[in-house]
Amino acid sequence: MPVDSLERYSRQMRFPALGKAGQEALCKSTVAVCGCGALGTVLANHLARAGVGKLRIIDRDFIETHNLQRQILFDEDDVASNLPKAEAAARKLRAINSTITIEPVVTDIDHTNILALVSDADLILDGTDNFETRYLINDAAVKLGKPWIYGGVIGSEGQTMTILPGETPCLRCLIETAPPPGMTPTCETAGVLGPAVSVIASFEAIEAIKILSGARAALNPCLIMVDVWDWTFRQLKIANLLGKVDCPCCKGRKFEWLEGGQGSHTTTLCGRNAVQVAVRRDEPLDFPELASRLASFAEVRHNAFMLRFAAEGHEFTVFPDGRAIIKGTNDVTRARTLYSQFIGS
Amino acid sequence: MPVVRIPTPLRPHAGGVDKLDLAGSTVKELFDRLGEAHPALRERLFDGEELRRFVNVYVNDEDIRYLEDLETPVAPGDEVSIIPAVAGG
Repeated sequence: MPVDSLERYSRQMRFPALGKAGQEALCKSTVAVCGCGALGTVLANHLARAGVGKLRIIDRDFIETHNLQRQILFDEDDVASNLPKAEAAARKLRAINSTITIEPVVTDIDHTNILALVSDADLILDGTDNFETRYLINDAAVKLGKPWIYGGVIGSEGQTMTILPGETPCLRCLIETAPPPGMTPTCETAGVLGPAVSVIASFEAIEAIKILSGARAALNPCLIMVDVWDWTFRQLKIANLLGKVDCPCCKGRKFEWLEGGQGSHTTTLCGRNAVQVAVRRDEPLDFPELASRLASFAEVRHNAFMLRFAAEGHEFTVFPDGRAIIKGTNDVTRARTLYSQFIGS
Repeated sequence: MPVVRIPTPLRPHAGGVDKLDLAGSTVKELFDRLGEAHPALRERLFDGEELRRFVNVYVNDEDIRYLEDLETPVAPGDEVSIIPAVAGG
């Protein structure tokens, strides 16, 4: 990047702790943003504007009207265009900053692809909405020795912590196992406020900027907890957990999610009355062929990124990689049956 | 008395309150009192006599796992926080 183009970052470069050297380091960085919903859009927005050289935006989902309340990169046109979140985000981010590289990836992050998705990244950011993916990120980050930043939000409260493998406690040091489905509320069941997400994602983003610009000494070593409704802000001391807790991941080097022993590829999307069915395909799905097969009994719409139809009271959204999100059921077996019935196996 | 702060998602199981003043000299004693008053809340936090593995408890700003776990002493004025795993985002 020519020196002149740093002018767009002049206001943040004047911040002494960042400076020109910090900016140049940002411009040379690669970040994997895992999940591009509420947290992910705020994260990607901040980092694209701040000049992170390469952003890989990974998301499995499409945009719905009820996302617009908090997912700041999307608008009504994106909903109407049936765009996947990663693709719509990439278009907005390129309009915001054309001097950086944005790489959208429409996929479900799982144990088969995560290492390839994050191995060239300097930092991994958590923009997900579920613990299964977070533990997978944690496994990958610890295994590769890469920093990552956890964030979670529900209602008006959220938490975040920065994980430097080997130096600070990892997610499993803090929370040994994921809560079973139904034991914790989700944004769909308990609701979520846009500003609460922005606060947590902004904290993640500022810690990201510190890591990428070489200012690790300024990182917050605590588990941060914020409630924007009650105006509480707490910093819980967790540093001692690193030595004290017998962590299977960062101490035992046992990567249960990465090895595929935990988590499943076909999952209920909690609280959404929907199931994601994932069938691994070697070749991308042929949308025109599938559309003509379905045309006799369903109205089918498709673009390059997804195909949608309704049948038997369910709405099917199918992605080129073979994944489908089937709305109108929480029953995994039923969803698998519907999948083979309409899409094939 | 020590105070136990109840996180928002668990308040429906605690009669809607955000904190409970409870008598006791250890974390365990406080949770025993809490269980008598709000059994459904205790059920959310404990599996038998053990804290569920996705629930963390702090006395003031320190995780009880590197203090004395449930036997961690508490004094009047101490603040005990239940920190649930936060899923959304």
